[in-house]
Amino acid sequence: MTAPLTLLIAALGGEGGGVLTSWIVNAAQDSNLPVQATSIPGVAQRTGATTYYVEIWPQTWDEIDGAEPVFALSPSPGEIDVFASSELLETGRQIQSGYVTPDRTLLIASTHRVFATSEKMKMGDGRADNKQLVQVAGDRSKSQIFFDMEDAARNAGAHISAVLLGSIAGCGTLPISDETFREGIRAEGKAVEANLAGFEAGLKAAKGDVAVQALQPEDRFAHVTATPDLLKRAASFPAEVQPTLDHAIRRLMDFQDTAYAGLYLDRLAPYADGEVDVLVRVAKYLAVRMSFEDVIRVAQAKTRPERLARIRAETGAAAGDSVKVTEFLKPGIAEFCDVLPEGIARMVLARAEKSEKLRNWHKGMELNSSSVTGFLKLKTLAGMRRWRRRTWRFRREQESIEAWLDLISQAQKLNAALAAEIAECARLIKGYSDTHVRGTGNFGRINAALIGPALRREIDAESAAVDIAAAREAALADPDGLTLTQTLSASAVPVPARREAAE
Amino acid sequence: MSAERSFSKEVESLRLGDGEVFHGEGILAVTKALLQSGVAYVGGYQGAPVSHLLDVLLDAEELMDEMGIHVETGTNEAAAAAMLGASINYPLRGAVGWKSIVGTNVAADALSNLASPGVIGGALIVSGEDYGEGASIIQERTLSMAMKSSMWLVDPRPNLTSIVDTVESSFELSEASNTPVIMQLRIRSCHVQGRFIARDNKKPPINTRERQKEPAPFNYGRLAHPPVTFAQEKLKVEERLPAAQKFICDRKLNEFFDGDIERLGIIVPGGLYNTLIRRLARLGLADDFGNSKIPLMVLNVVFPLVPDQIRDFAAGKDAVLIIEEGNPEYIEHQINTILRKADIQTRLHGKDVFPMAGEYNGAVMHQGLMGFIEAEGLGIGDPVQIRAEADRIDAAMDGAEAAFPTALPPRPPQFCTGCPERPVFSALKLLQEDIGKVHIAADIGCHAFATFEPFSMGNSILGYGMSLASAAAVSPFQDKRSISIMGDGGFWHNGLTTGVIANMLNEGDAVLVIMQNGFTSATGQQFIPSSAKGRGGRDPGMSIERTLEALGVPWMRTVRTYSVAAMVETLREALTTSEKGLKIIIADGECQLARQRRLRGENAEKLKSGKRVELPRFGIDDEVCTGDHSCIRLSGCPSLTIKPNPDPLREDPVASVNNSCVGCGLCGEVSHAAVLCPSFYRAERVRNPGMLERAVEGMRKSVIGLLGGHGA
Repeated sequence: MTAPLTLLIAALGGEGGGVLTSWIVNAAQDSNLPVQATSIPGVAQRTGATTYYVEIWPQTWDEIDGAEPVFALSPSPGEIDVFASSELLETGRQIQSGYVTPDRTLLIASTHRVFATSEKMKMGDGRADNKQLVQVAGDRSKSQIFFDMEDAARNAGAHISAVLLGSIAGCGTLPISDETFREGIRAEGKAVEANLAGFEAGLKAAKGDVAVQALQPEDRFAHVTATPDLLKRAASFPAEVQPTLDHAIRRLMDFQDTAYAGLYLDRLAPYADGEVDVLVRVAKYLAVRMSFEDVIRVAQAKTRPERLARIRAETGAAAGDSVKVTEFLKPGIAEFCDVLPEGIARMVLARAEKSEKLRNWHKGMELNSSSVTGFLKLKTLAGMRRWRRRTWRFRREQESIEAWLDLISQAQKLNAALAAEIAECARLIKGYSDTHVRGTGNFGRINAALIGPALRREIDAESAAVDIAAAREAALADPDGLTLTQTLSASAVPVPARREAAE
Repeated sequence: MSAERSFSKEVESLRLGDGEVFHGEGILAVTKALLQSGVAYVGGYQGAPVSHLLDVLLDAEELMDEMGIHVETGTNEAAAAAMLGASINYPLRGAVGWKSIVGTNVAADALSNLASPGVIGGALIVSGEDYGEGASIIQERTLSMAMKSSMWLVDPRPNLTSIVDTVESSFELSEASNTPVIMQLRIRSCHVQGRFIARDNKKPPINTRERQKEPAPFNYGRLAHPPVTFAQEKLKVEERLPAAQKFICDRKLNEFFDGDIERLGIIVPGGLYNTLIRRLARLGLADDFGNSKIPLMVLNVVFPLVPDQIRDFAAGKDAVLIIEEGNPEYIEHQINTILRKADIQTRLHGKDVFPMAGEYNGAVMHQGLMGFIEAEGLGIGDPVQIRAEADRIDAAMDGAEAAFPTALPPRPPQFCTGCPERPVFSALKLLQEDIGKVHIAADIGCHAFATFEPFSMGNSILGYGMSLASAAAVSPFQDKRSISIMGDGGFWHNGLTTGVIANMLNEGDAVLVIMQNGFTSATGQQFIPSSAKGRGGRDPGMSIERTLEALGVPWMRTVRTYSVAAMVETLREALTTSEKGLKIIIADGECQLARQRRLRGENAEKLKSGKRVELPRFGIDDEVCTGDHSCIRLSGCPSLTIKPNPDPLREDPVASVNNSCVGCGLCGEVSHAAVLCPSFYRAERVRNPGMLERAVEGMRKSVIGLLGGHGA
């Protein structure tokens, strides 16, 4: 039975889905094929999720001799021949609507993600599961063409809509020749070269001719070489933590010095022979906590030699262009005191206690780091790393780290899972000013409600470990701590203390 | 005319003549059909899905001038509807368009006053039915509005030929029955891309070039004023209705399609015809060219119905299915009455097998047809094929919704990259963290995107320009002042009178934020009275600030929207000052979409002549960012996104600015105002830098290189 070919395109508003649809309609018309397209642009043009729907009658007007096919205006579940999507989450959304089916649909989907606001705004990691999206998309379609269209578009210097068009042409289902599509792009006369380049990239990818590049993680501390002594000490740790140690040692040498990296290994040593899971987590978070985010570290990061080249590339600057970089810094009284010696810092803060003005004092700076004076200021600040050990922040961080390690050590005697979860809670402590205060506060709340009681054996260690994991997720659920409060009050039922073992 | 899209190409297709093929969008086909109908004046108010109707005509100034057609952009739908008043006294054909149901509601008073005296020149309202998937407004139908005012409602089959023919016949119907006609077009019908064979345009006999020498003579009968309103009510049912029904029959506006299964029938509005045929075809009850085995009555005119046609169609059948979206089921009620009075015992199905609410898409249509088939027996058509189709659709839906164990993140529309309205809500969020929550009366416009994450702000939306009015009885009962948000589009649409003037008249103490971006941006950047450039690039010369000054608004501030800290303080002052009376903050910032379009042109010119061009954007040091995303919770900009953490020891993704950044400056403002983190930087790429600039940069590079920074 002859039936219309159905093509559903999922895109984001502003990606050029309308233009893409026109290209397809024009190509069908140029091929003398009956065609109809519909869309629901409306406010979805403002970056929301939207779809375009095309039906093409697979016989020419001459072949059907004056008869007019009745085209449907909207897609129906189970009736899509080709589904093309410029973004992976939108692929999932249309699968949920039943438009992609294993008996019929050829799925063309980009593997890249444009994150939705709800994914981006989470305090931790709110991203949808990519692997699952790809898995389900594969399971629920007849055949698949997956590739990173964003990447292909960038490489071709084209809009993603042109790449999509190429992939639709290349999938081989439409009774329209590649050349007809190319002609359409040329006839339109807008950004012809870029669009053709994008079209060819999509065409190639759809025909299976695309090289997959594995992303190499950058090594930020490639310029640091670990000392033979540190390397020797690190070698005595289990294989599972070797990659972490390789990074951590150089990270802390960069942050402070060789001795500080040695301190890291000292602190880690007691866990070397314990449960590997605990060791792995302590190794990771200890390195993170020891390279805490004080203003000196910020200045170090912003004065790295490779930074300007990276920023220039980001702006797309050509050789003759000049690039000016302005930093947005707003240190307050707390950050100021962080880099002072403890005695002076305490004095200043005592005065701040009494004066709201001083307490709320911040210095907003727009610093031109591409100027000599601006760079010099940052470089001077970065150079303060020599005095870091004497700063109040350093003292406080070391105390806090020791206290955290102490909790883990105590827990390890009770239950390895509990120790691992306490170690993992270091994830909460991050950021600057309010964010840092909030994270530290949340850790404190979990400590008071769960870790403390567990270590005092007031509650069962095993279940405490589960509750701590839940509380950690809750702490990252909302910035006001509402979810954490609910979770903690739900798990606050004290379990009768276990009787001491007889021996 | 709009700043978002130029219709220069479409304007060309408006000139097509007899026998030429028009390719394009549904709403543009309507525009062409108006010209083929000899329309003398066109008006309307923008809104999806009908904005383009007027946009393209405003771009076709030259053609309109040649043809002597007057084109007017209404300041709201009431104004557009009132414009049809020209057809009461004069044999002028006129058409107006708007988004329905909202536009029809705004226009309702004028429409009643138009429908009562009736028209002598054809009057057509093109109603973009913003209903169902993709709709942005409350879900109501236009039919009841047509019925209560006795205006006819046509609903053509959604192919360009039918739509164009219906436009032409609607003018005739209107003139034959002295009644305004509404043509409803669903969202997808407005945006459908298809083709039709064009006819020559008709120049209206009375036009802007060949004018009338004298106004119409005084005729009390053409006023909507007692006592003639009583007579007009009778005229509607005694003369105009029969005249319309006769015209519908004579001109065969409704279509009848025979089928083999004569004991059944389906009555369907034209707009749903294609969906029906597709479902029937898959069930083996029709082919893809519209030949149905079940007889069809296609209501291209859904109001008024023609009782004779209904009786003739239903008589002798066992059962008839009525397909009608919306609630209540007006058509079904009428048909029931018609058949009952004629004592015809044909069974009726409709809302028993179709849902009371929601759009009838393919899936719903299939379920409804299956309900009809089950009720009337599987003896219809080939039961094997029907069962196979039902199983196939069940299989397609089976497990689809549950394909993912967790709900997929929603992706509603949002403020564009660099939108000037976003910073106002960043400021509001920061302020509320400080002083606590306040009641926020939201409005229609792009700023309604603030109701979505990350802002989730707004307690009510009562219609376009209605925010301040909607807070009138909220503020007196709140300790804290409430804030009303209004766009400049809403302000001119009616917010000036319903909001500002009402509040002052009642000695209110409200706070109003007016988003001044220079366009009705949500609908495609159409021009408004305070646009810098209006029709034909000319300045309309009206200003919100001067208007408010003239009214004597006691407290008024204009703040650049991107200045978050200043906005926070201005809002704080407005909310806490002891000064009584209306407080208005004009949040000033040009629509970024429009601005970027403007800059692209300007910069291209500058680059061509070797002039200096600054291209700012923001960036984030991913080593400094710790992945808390506070910045995103205060922004939600599409260009401010996340990426995998390059730090092998951290899992939470870091914030990242992508290449779509336009350097609006909000990221910098927010990181200062909120004391966020030092990750952000602004990078200004300068193309064609000056000699001195280059020399300074060279010197800087070498000195900084010596200091251990980047080399050359």
